[in-house]
Amino acid sequence: MIKNTKCECGHQNRVGTVLCEACGKPLDEHADSKELLEMRYDGVARRSQRANPNFIDKIWNFFSSVKVAIYLIIFTLIGAIFGTIFEQESNFVSFDPSTFYKDKYGTIGDIYYKLGLSHTYESWWFVLLLVMIGASLVICSLDRVLPLYKALSKQKIRKHMQFLTRQKVVYQGPVEGNGEEWVQQAVKPLKKKGYRVHTDGSALLAEKQRFSRWGPYVIHIGLIVFLLAVLFRGLPGLHLDKHYWFPEGEITKIPDTNLYLKNDKFTVEYYTEEEMSDDFRGTGKIVPKLFETKAILYECTADCGDPSKEPKLKEVQQHAIRVNDPLNYKGFKAYQFDFDLTPKLRSVQPVLVNVETGEQYGKFKLDMTNPQQNFTLGPYTLELKNKFMDFALNDQGQPISKSKDPNAPAFLFLVKGPDLPEKGSQYIYFPKQIDKERFQQDAINEKLGGLQNKLQLDVIGMEDVDFIESSSYLNIRIDRAMPYVWTGLGIVMLGLVMGFYWQHRRIWLRIDDGVLTVGGHTSKNWFGLRREVASFLKMMNVEVDEKQLDNGGNRS
Amino acid sequence: MGKARRPVQIVILIFIVILGVYAIGSAVSGGGSGKPKMGDKPPAIKLLGMDGKVHTLEEYKGKAVVVNFWATWCTYCVNEMPALQAQWKKWSDQGVVVLGINTGEDEMTVRNFTQQLGIDFPVLYDTNNEAVQDYGVVPMPTTFFVDKKGKIASIHEGELNLATLDDQIKRLVNP
Repeated sequence: MIKNTKCECGHQNRVGTVLCEACGKPLDEHADSKELLEMRYDGVARRSQRANPNFIDKIWNFFSSVKVAIYLIIFTLIGAIFGTIFEQESNFVSFDPSTFYKDKYGTIGDIYYKLGLSHTYESWWFVLLLVMIGASLVICSLDRVLPLYKALSKQKIRKHMQFLTRQKVVYQGPVEGNGEEWVQQAVKPLKKKGYRVHTDGSALLAEKQRFSRWGPYVIHIGLIVFLLAVLFRGLPGLHLDKHYWFPEGEITKIPDTNLYLKNDKFTVEYYTEEEMSDDFRGTGKIVPKLFETKAILYECTADCGDPSKEPKLKEVQQHAIRVNDPLNYKGFKAYQFDFDLTPKLRSVQPVLVNVETGEQYGKFKLDMTNPQQNFTLGPYTLELKNKFMDFALNDQGQPISKSKDPNAPAFLFLVKGPDLPEKGSQYIYFPKQIDKERFQQDAINEKLGGLQNKLQLDVIGMEDVDFIESSSYLNIRIDRAMPYVWTGLGIVMLGLVMGFYWQHRRIWLRIDDGVLTVGGHTSKNWFGLRREVASFLKMMNVEVDEKQLDNGGNRS
Repeated sequence: MGKARRPVQIVILIFIVILGVYAIGSAVSGGGSGKPKMGDKPPAIKLLGMDGKVHTLEEYKGKAVVVNFWATWCTYCVNEMPALQAQWKKWSDQGVVVLGINTGEDEMTVRNFTQQLGIDFPVLYDTNNEAVQDYGVVPMPTTFFVDKKGKIASIHEGELNLATLDDQIKRLVNP
């Protein structure tokens, strides 16, 4: 069916046009209607409104509908509610979700997990809803903003009589004198009120703050930037949220980055009894007041991905990391999360003692990891044959290590030198005094060849023992998408301000045979517009009460 | 009506579809803990081997790889070592590689241990526990069986004995 969309003024309008694009005459309505005009998008057709929509047009129309957009938003909000019932998988450092929900919440928890609601915000349907909202934002905006822009940038000054009388703010009354002169006189007071005034004979159009009409579309652009930023946050390298241990005094590689972090010094201070309230003292809890990691961040400059070479590091930043005061290097952040004050042996520096003469030979450094393996001490040579970090004997009576942590380190040496057998003599050494007694170092050495009566390894003072005193647990975060998220939100804010604090006001007037007709339209604040029109008419010596201008109706 | 509109419409719709597929795809695949599962490609590794050279999984392309995470302090790992060594001897000429990844111990410990047990399959040092994290290894030992197409055929947590190991490798060679 082909509809006749030609207006009586001769303008050919598009399908779906409500008000003639040229003269503003309402189309497809009864001529005698007194109802207020539908002024949305200035009565122009949305782009998607077509006479014979095909498949693509139908998809386009679906997303261009505000109704659909509202439903999408409602569904998304309802979906988001489900994600707040129980804690989400992504919020926790480590637990097994397949059992966690059942153990904690019973059957409901299990159902919750099985429905996939334990990761609501990463589920396909939630992401699909977000994508559809994004599509709706783009298409809705494009469908409306372009025709509106066109309509507002080529407005006809002389509008159809019905267009004026069916506005929400209307005045009609006689004026004295020549129509064209009256209109010329009206320009000045309107300009004073900040309007841009255009005249066409005995017709006039005054307009101000048109830019506020773009507010909603600016908001949409902001939201699209925001959605895209959130979407691309998942790209590798843009987002990282992990927790790692950093032993004091060690340079630790941060996986998936080219950064290394040294925990230079970790300190923890507790609240003293005096600082606590009486009630709290009763609970017997010890609460840390401060925990701080003095961290040095290094960037790898060469030989980074090659495990056969030592990476070349360059210091890039130093920071004392405290709770809520992370280290921040170009979007890489390290937050204080936890700590462990269990000391770990790093190295000892024993001397070799001749038991009979009391003579001491050298002092050598014995690292717990990657120790040097050959030592020359006076006339003796020591060859490190084996080491056990957590010494124990297995069922067959063989020495083993129970873990890789130096809880009970033991070192097996082959000692050669004067008065010793040609092929050397074996000697086991426990750096910790407690282990020496517990595992009976002397008894073992007796079995190994009795070297303990001639030679002993001994640590002279505590200064020869090096501990990793504590470890700091840091939360490593990278969120490179955040600046884009903030940019998006900033654009949204700009759009909101544009649309909220300014209004697009227009006043049309025409004089026909000594009768003045005024129509006024604003995007909001009708009260303000009525007052402005009344004050303008007063300046033109037309007395009218503000309230009389109201043409009734609720259409905006 | 504007002639340029139809292509613009189509371009925008295609753009939205691509973004949507990408977003949903990454949400579904990346939604898990990132632990490799059966049928996945094993995470890439780049580790120093006992031979002093850097090794990656790429080297074993086209071969079936048995990736075993172990440590000298883990009793079950120690127990299954002879079985791994025996199967390495048996299957190595049929395109099967046994790859032992030591988790965070130093060179001396590993070398002493392998010499003592007479192990000669390739052993790599995972000094910083990077592979352990990428593979999501929790209990030790954990063994990943990677087929010749480069996909994880099965994952075994805990000790393997000679028979089950033989059975698993057979399935890798003749799927």
